[in-house]
Amino acid sequence: MIYLSNLLNQKVWDAFGHVVGQVEDILVSHTDQAMPPIDAILLKKNNSDVRLIKGELIATLWPTIALSVDQRELSDYQPHGHELHLKKRVLDQQIVDTEGKRLVRVNDVVIARKNQQFLVTGVDVGIRGLLRRLGLDTAAKFLAKTFNFKLTSQIIAWEDVASIEHDDPLRLKVSQERLVQMEPVDIAAILDDLDHHTSKALLQGFDDEILADTLEQSSFEVQQAILAAMDPERAADVLEEMDPDEAADLLADLDDERSEQLLSLMEDEDEIEIRQLLAYPENSAGGIMTTEFAWVPGDFNVEQALTHLRTSEEAKEDEFMYYLYILGNDEKLEGVVSLRDLVTAPLDKSLQDWADDDVVHVEPLTHQNETAYLVAKYDLMAIPVIDPESHKMLGIVTVDDALDTVLPTAWKKRIPRFAGK
Amino acid sequence: MKDTIKKSRPVWLSKFLFLLSILGPGLITASADNDAPGIATYSVAGATYGYKLIWVILVITIGEVVILEMAARMGAVTGKGTADLIRERFGVKISTLAMLLLIIANLATTVAQFAGVAAAGELFGISRYISVPIAAVVMTFIVLKAEYKYVERVLLVLCLASLSYVVAVFTVKPDWAAIGQAIIRPQIELTGDFLVTMLAVIGTTITPWAIYYLQASVADRGVDMKEYRYTRLDVSFGSAWGNVISAFILIVTAATLYVNGVAVNDAKDAALALQPLAGEASSILFSVGLLGASLLAVSVLPLSTTYAFCEAYGFERGLNRKVKEAPVFYGMLIAIMAISSLVVLIPNAPLFQMMILSQTLNAMLLPVLLILVLKLANSKEIMGKYTNSKLTNILAIGITLLILVVTIALFFEPLLNKIF
Repeated sequence: MIYLSNLLNQKVWDAFGHVVGQVEDILVSHTDQAMPPIDAILLKKNNSDVRLIKGELIATLWPTIALSVDQRELSDYQPHGHELHLKKRVLDQQIVDTEGKRLVRVNDVVIARKNQQFLVTGVDVGIRGLLRRLGLDTAAKFLAKTFNFKLTSQIIAWEDVASIEHDDPLRLKVSQERLVQMEPVDIAAILDDLDHHTSKALLQGFDDEILADTLEQSSFEVQQAILAAMDPERAADVLEEMDPDEAADLLADLDDERSEQLLSLMEDEDEIEIRQLLAYPENSAGGIMTTEFAWVPGDFNVEQALTHLRTSEEAKEDEFMYYLYILGNDEKLEGVVSLRDLVTAPLDKSLQDWADDDVVHVEPLTHQNETAYLVAKYDLMAIPVIDPESHKMLGIVTVDDALDTVLPTAWKKRIPRFAGK
Repeated sequence: MKDTIKKSRPVWLSKFLFLLSILGPGLITASADNDAPGIATYSVAGATYGYKLIWVILVITIGEVVILEMAARMGAVTGKGTADLIRERFGVKISTLAMLLLIIANLATTVAQFAGVAAAGELFGISRYISVPIAAVVMTFIVLKAEYKYVERVLLVLCLASLSYVVAVFTVKPDWAAIGQAIIRPQIELTGDFLVTMLAVIGTTITPWAIYYLQASVADRGVDMKEYRYTRLDVSFGSAWGNVISAFILIVTAATLYVNGVAVNDAKDAALALQPLAGEASSILFSVGLLGASLLAVSVLPLSTTYAFCEAYGFERGLNRKVKEAPVFYGMLIAIMAISSLVVLIPNAPLFQMMILSQTLNAMLLPVLLILVLKLANSKEIMGKYTNSKLTNILAIGITLLILVVTIALFFEPLLNKIF
């Protein structure tokens, strides 16, 4: 293995043993590949003269850097502007380890030889890389040998690395494609650790749905920074994609002018839903409920219900489907059936058989704690919210939202990084 | 459905709330000027040298505003911490040097905070072997549980005790003419003690941790350049305010203790300065102020050190991580707490000397960081169009040189005395 730190500032020799210059930086351009080849070396001569030498002219990199041609036959590399400078842009910078789902700092870049090419294979993020940079590699090896412990390198493969620098749109796209493969909650955790400029830049390229999922998991600071950076139309589109209860939470924390603007830009249906949610106090069942749930009329049989769930647009949008609610006239709740019971029941069975006047439910102003208590007591995945006057079913509180009070899943959102934040 | 459901606030109120939300880091940072070693340093400076050192406070107020403004601006422009920028710009070796200096300075300062706790307790005959371990365990718990919001408020209230020096100025009737003289004609004594005290006054006002902490919290708040003027206001106002109080501590002790020839060797002596104001209650007032200031600093200092270290080396960090995920982070945080409290427990450790020498050390280590910060704040690549103004550079370089000269003078003091 060859390390970038071992190459920097080293002399470069031509085929006849003349010194051509010193390595100032190394450039790669196909950063989307699993092992991008070295495209050029930036050479420095006498501290002022810089030139780019084509990577294919490299004969050896280690232990000495030698070129395969005479210095008079050197052909310069023509940059196209999308090259990644390994020293300037990768070494010592933070990157996302998409496999380990964390933000790490690059202590070194690993280069390997394959056939006649030199390829970037990964980055070293471990303590060993740090010691090597400090010139303590030999000392560390000696200590490891004396005290009989293992020095392990922590190397992340290049394909699991997303560079977070955002000054080049092409490379940013590569990073985004790699980031999107992670779970929204992991992306959100990483964005929380990043500076606001970078997280903004990274998120801009995501499509609405992924952006919405990530925002749901992000801290308020990140949510705000990202919303502020988007034009209002886009922000409204993203809010539409979010769970209404999450969108309402976010809007409630924005200043009035801004949230009014965003609400009015949203589609009427979503806007009305969110306005209703905003009317309830934050710690009430109404404040934490979602208005998306799966329902069918009571005169359906099992087969019709299943077909409905498969085909209707509304059902498709429902991300949390554990129960099917049976609604009568005026959207009154008449019964509920779990998906398990539905799937295992004979197809011609009428849903009316499940009708039950006594479904466990809460009212929109029921306190969050009471809601959580009922959910836990009856082992529910979700509890319906019913308007006390009209008896209309307004929405459901899902178990994760209900238990947030007792065991906040999004607890990291509430912990300041520093005192005084 | 078009009517506004959310209650809307009057415009001036939202503006005011916005201002409050931005004000803060600067004020906290500057209040921390008057932490336990701060109070000790100004008391000793006033009791030993009268008004002689008051000009230093004036000079470093300007220095502090300039330097903290740079840090805040870097935070706003880059969104990154000081440790981040140093590592990304200067590489592993320089950043390791900077980290080493930061850890030494902050360990010493944390030791000084626990010394403050010990001194506050001993005023009431509470042994340091009781007060310090309790403080260390409780504060570690509070920091790990991130329960600052309330705790910090309580501690800030305790810190208000240092306001009593402002009131005391009017009861002790200081010699204003002599103070004016001391400002117009700055004096330096070429003695080791004087130079140590002078460096301590500088080191307790402009601290490495304040630079790191301020930049990180400005970056964390996501202050952008549009809102930056509020942050600048916060920083300038906070620094000025912190130093006004420092000056008052010095003036009060000079007018009471120096005039009567009382030397300050421990908290009991220092508390005497408040006697004309509070009489018998002076030691209560003094120890409450000392305790609040120490604990406030303990709640911030080890954590910000740990963050900076983990940032520079890319270790996982944050109180939302599990211990297993971030062993370096938690290990270091607890180690700083443990080591610094244990140092205070060394039998007969002289508390006041420890507090002052820790600040002298702070000042001596500062120039390296100042040079790095100056380079960063002048880099077009990092700061874009927000690089330092000429005036900022002149003032910041001036302060750096002053510290260097005094430090060098301290080491060559015996030699210099032979020449002059």
